Amino acid sequence: MAEANKRPVPVPSHTSKPFWEAGKRGKFLLQYDSVAKKYQFFPRPVSIYSGSDKLEWREASGRGTLVARTNVQVPHRGFEKLVPFVLAAVNLEEGVRVVARLIGVSYDQAKHGMKVRICWEELSDGSRMFAFEPDM
Amino acid sequence: MTATNFLSDKDIVIIAYGEVKNELRSGKTATELTADVMVQLLAKTGLTNRDVDGFALLLPLSETGFPWYSNVVVENLGIQARWLQITDIGGCAILGNIARAAAALKCGMIEFAFCIHADAPSRPSVAEYFNYRSEFQEPAGYQGPLIAFGLMTDAYDQKYGLKPEALGRLAVAQRNGAVANENALEKLRKPITVDDYLNSRLVSEPMRLLDCVMRCDGANGVVVTTLERAKAMGVKKMVRLASYSEITNYDPTNSTPDAFETGFQVVGPDALNKAGMTPRDVDMFHPYDDFLIAMLLKLEQIGFCKRGEGSDYLMSTDFSPTGNLPLNTGGGQISAGQPGLAGGGLNVIEAVRQLMGEAGSRQVPNAKNALVTGIGVVPYFRNWGSSVAMVMEV
Repeated sequence: MAEANKRPVPVPSHTSKPFWEAGKRGKFLLQYDSVAKKYQFFPRPVSIYSGSDKLEWREASGRGTLVARTNVQVPHRGFEKLVPFVLAAVNLEEGVRVVARLIGVSYDQAKHGMKVRICWEELSDGSRMFAFEPDM
Repeated sequence: MTATNFLSDKDIVIIAYGEVKNELRSGKTATELTADVMVQLLAKTGLTNRDVDGFALLLPLSETGFPWYSNVVVENLGIQARWLQITDIGGCAILGNIARAAAALKCGMIEFAFCIHADAPSRPSVAEYFNYRSEFQEPAGYQGPLIAFGLMTDAYDQKYGLKPEALGRLAVAQRNGAVANENALEKLRKPITVDDYLNSRLVSEPMRLLDCVMRCDGANGVVVTTLERAKAMGVKKMVRLASYSEITNYDPTNSTPDAFETGFQVVGPDALNKAGMTPRDVDMFHPYDDFLIAMLLKLEQIGFCKRGEGSDYLMSTDFSPTGNLPLNTGGGQISAGQPGLAGGGLNVIEAVRQLMGEAGSRQVPNAKNALVTGIGVVPYFRNWGSSVAMVMEV
């Protein structure tokens, strides 16, 4: 029998390595531009606000608000056993948008404006991927 | 925004179009499909491949692993190119190439630009995605367009309210076009009803199957030259380029944009202004259509109706060839099939075909202009990557 497709794992880049290292310790880091006083996500080699490469890593609250969601019925490779699942677009308190799986609630329970927080899923190679769960 | 219209002289023209029929499994490569279109274009213009000095194409999904694809294509076609352009702005590449060809023609770099776009996604996929797609999207199950447009539809519905039956009317109008279009994917040339749309299965809820395109193999192309040369050749039918506007990575420093805010609020009004038009002056609208919601958003953001009133506009507008706003009269990609990245050529070719008066049973009477658009690339949860708009006239 053919082996099931494995869920894709994140492969860190030079830029994003600190993000994934912190993720192993359950911390969600964001890049911060101290001149523009703004955060950005996903990690990039320079600030999207100023073009500067002087970016700090700061730990985010991990808390945010759901702004959109979709119920995934056609799976990406490696997600065949997980469908249907909810993907949520969330605005974090730090003013950035993150898209990830919303775990622990159904599509109908996933309401706009609901408070969520970052959690981490263990993947096959020991790495972790961030997701959201309701923030009770 | 650039203030000048580099096409204001209206001295750059399309003198021929070509298109192969969309097929699920053509058995051909993108290079072979490109050759099929070139043969059509040479027959229509009376040119030979030795006359072609400018050549533009897109990087097909089915050839993405091949770094020197464009060279290999011209080598296969016997073309000696003095200007070779490969464009990777997704579904915007076709209009993007026509605009880039116009610039090269106006600079006197070339005499003819053959812009040919082909893709054969039925072949084994060689596309590989990097950066945020492989690192932050794929491990989350964020599959690209289907997810992005599902989220976009949900965000729009939350803010303004979306009437599914309104999108259903659009689906039916386009399907009628595909039934009349011999180049449409045969599998899709059957009429549908609004109920068929509403009852189609959910794929990325709230999106339904009939909101989406069906992938296939196909190719299309145009010949672009100067008005002066076209006249010297004795060309009878030609379409003039009146204006063009392009934007990529719209509003990049907004880290929490509404998903449905797109570059069309810039390029739509810009292209119309440059052509001296308002939405009321548009005879035909040929929008890029990967998902039905994309057309609703464009109608609002270009200014055909007010923001948030898209559903009502769809309910009250007749999009048929004899209606008040003829739209994608050949079926668009959603009903004629999406030939991979060459899908952005379907609406372009249909606009040119209509303006040349060659659309047969679906001919729009007295159409003197067309607004044609492109959409390209799914970014990390924000609208879409590239937006382009062009006005064509006869």
